[in-house]
Amino acid sequence: MENGPPFRFFITHPKVVLLEWDTEPDDALLNRLIEFRKAIKKEFVEVIQITQGYCSLMLFHDKAINTIDRYQTRLNLLYSSLVSFSKKNSKLWRIPVCYSEAWAPDLNALSKSLNMTTDTLIEKHVSVRYRVQFIGFLPGFLYLSGLPKILECARKDQPVSHVAKGSVAIGGKQTGIYPVNSPGGWHLIGKTPYPLFKPQEENPCFAQAGDSIQFEPITRKNYWELEERIKNKTFKIRPE
Amino acid sequence: MIEVLHPGIHTSIQDMGRMGFQSLGVPIGGAMDQNAMHWANYLLNNPKQCAVLEMSFKGPKLLFHEATTIALTGADMQAKVNGVALQNHKAIQIKENTILEFGIAQQGKRTYLAIAGGIQSPVVLGSRSQYKDITPQTVIGKTKLIPFNKTQINGQKGARLSFTASDWDKKLIPAYKGPDFHLLPKKAQTQLKNNAFTISVKNSRMAYVLEEKLIHQIPSIWTVPVLPGTVQCTPNGTLIVLMRDAQTTGGYPRVLQISDEGLNLLAQKSTKADFQFKIGSV
Repeated sequence: MENGPPFRFFITHPKVVLLEWDTEPDDALLNRLIEFRKAIKKEFVEVIQITQGYCSLMLFHDKAINTIDRYQTRLNLLYSSLVSFSKKNSKLWRIPVCYSEAWAPDLNALSKSLNMTTDTLIEKHVSVRYRVQFIGFLPGFLYLSGLPKILECARKDQPVSHVAKGSVAIGGKQTGIYPVNSPGGWHLIGKTPYPLFKPQEENPCFAQAGDSIQFEPITRKNYWELEERIKNKTFKIRPE
Repeated sequence: MIEVLHPGIHTSIQDMGRMGFQSLGVPIGGAMDQNAMHWANYLLNNPKQCAVLEMSFKGPKLLFHEATTIALTGADMQAKVNGVALQNHKAIQIKENTILEFGIAQQGKRTYLAIAGGIQSPVVLGSRSQYKDITPQTVIGKTKLIPFNKTQINGQKGARLSFTASDWDKKLIPAYKGPDFHLLPKKAQTQLKNNAFTISVKNSRMAYVLEEKLIHQIPSIWTVPVLPGTVQCTPNGTLIVLMRDAQTTGGYPRVLQISDEGLNLLAQKSTKADFQFKIGSV
């Protein structure tokens, strides 16, 4: 059994504890965070909610934590008892994306600045499986890692005030899907008709931290058909 | 039903917030001044989780289709029924077809209107608190109808709160050191402890941006979880106080965390108000 990298225990608010790892985020850390998070959910009934960042977990409690020392000891014990860090429970989601110009206002300019054809850019973007690090920023916004290095690019100087829901974009070292209409500073290269966030459903977001995402190119005709089927609730993406 | 004749400046339905979905990026939300909201529900014998109307700066004009009991807390917004002034902090009977009209907040910024039995708008993800893309509406709009239970007329008989509005003049906002406080240079730490800060025009239910800046060289950080009350410091030293509708994650260093009480106090402060942080231990 290997010892995990140490974490910092910080009480940020009487009801909120922050655990932070002083390291670069990578797959091994993500697997560990997911396992630790699961274990805390199971063992600490007083924890009502856990949020996650690249290298941190935040634990929300139903009331103020009184016995800090004992709490910290329990947490450390739990951490050192973790053994499996496999991806076994993570799912692969294939998300249909239309890269047609109509949905990709920045595709041409971005491929030019990256010195490649639009076809190459699309090919590279769909070639890999991205990993969901965590969800934040907007309801249903997936922080994805794994963008091919040759697609990295500076964000726009000025964010645009309206990015349509479903837009697929690249910014910096990241790629993502805007789950709702919002302002945004990333380059828009496509759009998915599939909703990332459905507030009316019991589980509003299909993906979770640790899952993999692969983009599947579709034609404009496919896009319209899918949109119709999604509206009629006859299409649902299934994980692999 | 309540019919909205005029919506006011920013009137929304709020309750204790939406707990349990932050890991999906859903903000907690809820009443900005939770304390004032609790007292409004208390005066009516309402359960704590009942939804209320939150009004900011200038209140709405409302037509009550049915009789009910209400209570007003928070800022005094010169509420009037048929031209007669109403007092805050007590249960008030409202007859059917009554028009309730609000003016501008005299002291403080936000007023809470509780209704016997609570507002019955749709519950989304465990809460009625209005939020963009979560609830059908983001704020109360003109001609909209706000449902309530007309059968439930209760209220604490004769109950009154004695309340001193001077609470809102309090200039000390209790806070704790944030996870990145220690990375600030000594001078900036002292500035946070001793200086006064001013709320800029950029203030909303999501965040208050402060006018004064800190000088620091904290390197940028990987995106981290944040919560209402987290005070972020941008690369140019601007301080951003996250309020109830804050996003669930953020990419700026966290220099302070404001206490729950501090958040309630800040909720009642307007643009240009100044205050000081009172930094204590958790």
